[in-house]
Amino acid sequence: MTRRFTLTPYLFLAPALALVATFVIYPIAAVAFYSFTDFDIITAPEWVGTDNYRRLIADPTFWKALTNSAVYLIVTPTIIVLSIMLAIVVNRRLRGISLFRALYFVPAVSGSIAIGISWRWIFERNGLLNSALISMGLLSEPVQWLTDPDYVLPIAMLLTVWAGVGYYAVIFLAGLQNIPDELYDAARIDGCNRFQKHWHVSLPGLRPQIVFVAVISSLAALKVFDEIYVLTNHTGGVLESGTTIVFYLWRQAFVLSNAGYASAIAIALLLATLVFSIGLIRVLERGDAT
Amino acid sequence: MRNKTFPILAMVLMLVVAACTPASTSPSASGSAEPSESEVAVTSPDASAAPTDAPAAPCAAESSQEDPIMEGVEEGAEISFWTYFLSPTFDEFIQCTIARYEEAYPGVTVNWEDHQATYLDDYRNSINSDTQPDVANLSNNEGWVREFAQAGALLDLTENAPQEIIDQYFPNLFADNLVDDHSFQFPWYQSIAVELINTRIYEDAGLDPAEFPTAIDELPELCQTIKDETGTLCDIRLTVTDYLSQMTYEGGVDVMNEDQTEFTFDSPEAVEWLQMYVDMVDAGTVDTDALTTALDRVALLIFSAGQAAFYQTGPQLIRVVKDNNPDLYENLALAPLPLGKSGVTQPTSMAISVKSDTEFPNASMALAAFFTGPRAMLDFAKIVPIYPSTPAAFDDPFFSEEPELIEDSARPLAREIIENQQNILPPIPEKADVNDIVRQAVESALFADVPAQEALSNAVDQANALIR
Repeated sequence: MTRRFTLTPYLFLAPALALVATFVIYPIAAVAFYSFTDFDIITAPEWVGTDNYRRLIADPTFWKALTNSAVYLIVTPTIIVLSIMLAIVVNRRLRGISLFRALYFVPAVSGSIAIGISWRWIFERNGLLNSALISMGLLSEPVQWLTDPDYVLPIAMLLTVWAGVGYYAVIFLAGLQNIPDELYDAARIDGCNRFQKHWHVSLPGLRPQIVFVAVISSLAALKVFDEIYVLTNHTGGVLESGTTIVFYLWRQAFVLSNAGYASAIAIALLLATLVFSIGLIRVLERGDAT
Repeated sequence: MRNKTFPILAMVLMLVVAACTPASTSPSASGSAEPSESEVAVTSPDASAAPTDAPAAPCAAESSQEDPIMEGVEEGAEISFWTYFLSPTFDEFIQCTIARYEEAYPGVTVNWEDHQATYLDDYRNSINSDTQPDVANLSNNEGWVREFAQAGALLDLTENAPQEIIDQYFPNLFADNLVDDHSFQFPWYQSIAVELINTRIYEDAGLDPAEFPTAIDELPELCQTIKDETGTLCDIRLTVTDYLSQMTYEGGVDVMNEDQTEFTFDSPEAVEWLQMYVDMVDAGTVDTDALTTALDRVALLIFSAGQAAFYQTGPQLIRVVKDNNPDLYENLALAPLPLGKSGVTQPTSMAISVKSDTEFPNASMALAAFFTGPRAMLDFAKIVPIYPSTPAAFDDPFFSEEPELIEDSARPLAREIIENQQNILPPIPEKADVNDIVRQAVESALFADVPAQEALSNAVDQANALIR
């Protein structure tokens, strides 16, 4: 039996493939090429072999940025737990519940820069937090939260969690609404209390959404930039305390004009996210199979 | 029904948020939109400096000054011109100047574009993609002119411009940022940095604004007094985009040896300069947010909120104080900038440069000369407190009139100040990377208790490794 070649499906695929080739494959290939060059954007790139990668391995700021990005992944389990809890809370038939659901979604539709600026106002020396803590007698003089290396990353992570919970809660809410009521009835008959009901019914029922959110929010955490950019006034925080890998990439490319080196960082980030995503999906799918 | 209500509510909220966001974030949003470059460098008449009340049309205005006219402008030339952060506030000034230029050179057309927050990226990309504008507004202070001149992207004006055009500028300004002793820019509008003083806080601290320190090394004691007496911290900035320049002017540091072959910014002078800031941070007398920010706007807003006793900026930014805090505007005083150990101040200058391989070099140079000439400079100075780069413009009575507003109070002194400014910073190889090394060293001394000498010596080793 011979398979007949037909052009039609390829014609249907062509527009999408052309877009992917232009806006995804070509840029990745270009970045891969530039990562082997000394390129300052202004003058023509000059081939330097693996110099950028060797520099990367010896660059303490790169490792600091990579560590900060890895630490940033803590937002993923936090977001998952809080989003599921929020979804469970708003998954009720109460008067006005739609308004609450929409309100929790507001951060997701607000601009990240606007959110970052608002958070700066909270954490500035004369900001809301210091004023509140001083008025409650918990502080004697204001703390400069955003120039204290110990606080920059946790504040940015808190912001990411706050801004993301509403969005991911909507995904979990959709998942919860697909779980048949009969399962909850059965659990109740079996003597489950409210917590056990969600532990034994809701969580297993939400596994596809958990996998999806885990992957998406982890990738977002690895690529975090806006929060750091705004909270640290474009500096990455003193002592690189808030410098994440994407922020470092941006600084190398657009502040220091080291586009070749920045491309090497981008390729390292691509590989790291690829390995991380494949590993995460495998782990979560293995859990699904058991 | 329930499922339909949620998306509708979400949509409505999205619209509300979209509609509200710009208004609710405007004070800082403008700060974030404006690149630090302009604010740090020149305190330029960009969006932040622009007067909100539009000036009278300069087109029709008579002027005591003439536009410079060049011979040999190519007939039928069509040239592109980029400005930095000047639209929409100064549209009328720019359009009128272009109209006069096109009238002076019939058949020549100018295509003007104003680029803002992404200016530097746009300009770099334009060089890479062969769409570089023929004429462009570049910052001297941020080192843009030198960067692009060294990359071969700018026309050598010492070599190509007529002498009578070169002679229209203050010599020190035309000689700003030389590359191999050649100039690649016509100096455009100038700013003069001053100290704005909140007289209420200052007097509460028992100090007299008329006796503001005249030397940088008096600042630590001043900040200690202000903190002790009022609990207010000093609103002082490190120039995070150009530490070498700051230590050169403030600390009198020779950042490179005489042959320009090695960095030397770990000298006793450099250590003393850094130690001054370390001591202030340790004493808790400076706002570290302002100290380390890359955005002038952050520190300016602290001052304009009435939370600092003084702040160094350009007089044109007094407008921000006036808009944000009229009460503070009523309690403002101005003082000259305290001098560093170098004894001179840095020119704070915007420039206009020409593309190196432009098809129309004469038309492009003529446009650059036109905008930087005495007539256009005078028109510009009348609508915003900036100062001309041409001595002739200062001959207009406008500069000798007694100023009424505090933001204009530097005007009668401007010529003398500008004339005596000097760029004493040598060309720095790998400047951005070296600055980043110095930034890390300074931060380690300020926030990680690394001794200033050790931090700077490590930085010198790293910087020298870059240029070997």
